[in-house]
Amino acid sequence: MHELGLARSIAGIAQENAKGRPLKEVRVAIGPLACVERGALEFCWGLVTESTGIAGVGLRFLDADGDTFVVRELEFMEEA
Amino acid sequence: MCGTCGCADPANEVSMTNPETGVKTLLKNGVDHGHGHKHDHDHDDHHHEGDDVPHMHGPGGEIISLEAAVLGKNDKIAAQNRGWFQGRGVIALNIVSSPGAGKTTLLESTIRQMKDEVEITVVEGDQMTANDAERIQQAGARALQINTGAGCHLEADMIAAAARSLDPQPGSIMMIENVGNLVCPAMFDLGEKMKIAVISTTEGEDKPIKYPHMFRAVEWVVINKMDLAPHVDFDEETCRKNILQVNPGAKILCLSARTGEGMDEWCAALGALQA
Repeated sequence: MHELGLARSIAGIAQENAKGRPLKEVRVAIGPLACVERGALEFCWGLVTESTGIAGVGLRFLDADGDTFVVRELEFMEEA
Repeated sequence: MCGTCGCADPANEVSMTNPETGVKTLLKNGVDHGHGHKHDHDHDDHHHEGDDVPHMHGPGGEIISLEAAVLGKNDKIAAQNRGWFQGRGVIALNIVSSPGAGKTTLLESTIRQMKDEVEITVVEGDQMTANDAERIQQAGARALQINTGAGCHLEADMIAAAARSLDPQPGSIMMIENVGNLVCPAMFDLGEKMKIAVISTTEGEDKPIKYPHMFRAVEWVVINKMDLAPHVDFDEETCRKNILQVNPGAKILCLSARTGEGMDEWCAALGALQA
């Protein structure tokens, strides 16, 4: 179940770069050779973000080439 | 398929195939998998593929472009390990296989055969028990056991700690015996010089094409338990063909760690790494 560790890494990168601003969605680009199971990662994302500062933030997958596995974009909540 | 998340990508299907009837049952496909994100994007479904410039985004919230490698932290520590090993003239090898392929037995035989020639230290990775490290010690080498608990692979920070603790001599070889698993260890760089896969004749010839990610990530493949080949109808030619199909540059070594057959060639190849 390395997806749990991967979800933690993604959450860490998102929190570090959001610098406290409210996030709406995290977009992760995954290539077919990245050895990442999207369903498992999705499941783990809910677990690791639960009761943290980014609880409820969406995780979306973007198709990419080769073994790409990067946090591509962060989308923030609309400013009130 | 949904081009946004790739959730209906055929590569992500989970299916069950009956080899006798050829009937394939789809257990899970991307479309109806109930994951929570919406596909009705409020911004015309464009993806910004390759667009790295941070930018504002219409009426919705701001989007920033990151391109941050998910395994970046591990990769950074791995790069530090690689420098640490190179600076000390230590050859670090990441040995991967499925459970029971004979990694530990291969290391025991290698240590016994090469102990007058070169120092070998071993880092053992298993979920539980220190059995393997004890076996390595009895074979005459210094060893450390890492228990990953629920974890399925070793990570670079574990190797950083193990290497500093073992403090291998310049000119020595450090064998890192990864957790028996042909999936996850392929993703995690530990800072090794190269990965070496061990497969055994009892596993069948098609392991390399069943687990292509791993066999693509290694430089050498050791086919172990050659003494059992005639008893399990192992076809060496087919196995070699399968390895080269996923990794045309792989160096293949056939041996039996138990009988010693082929061990001279393996030890010579290890010795040549130091040159």
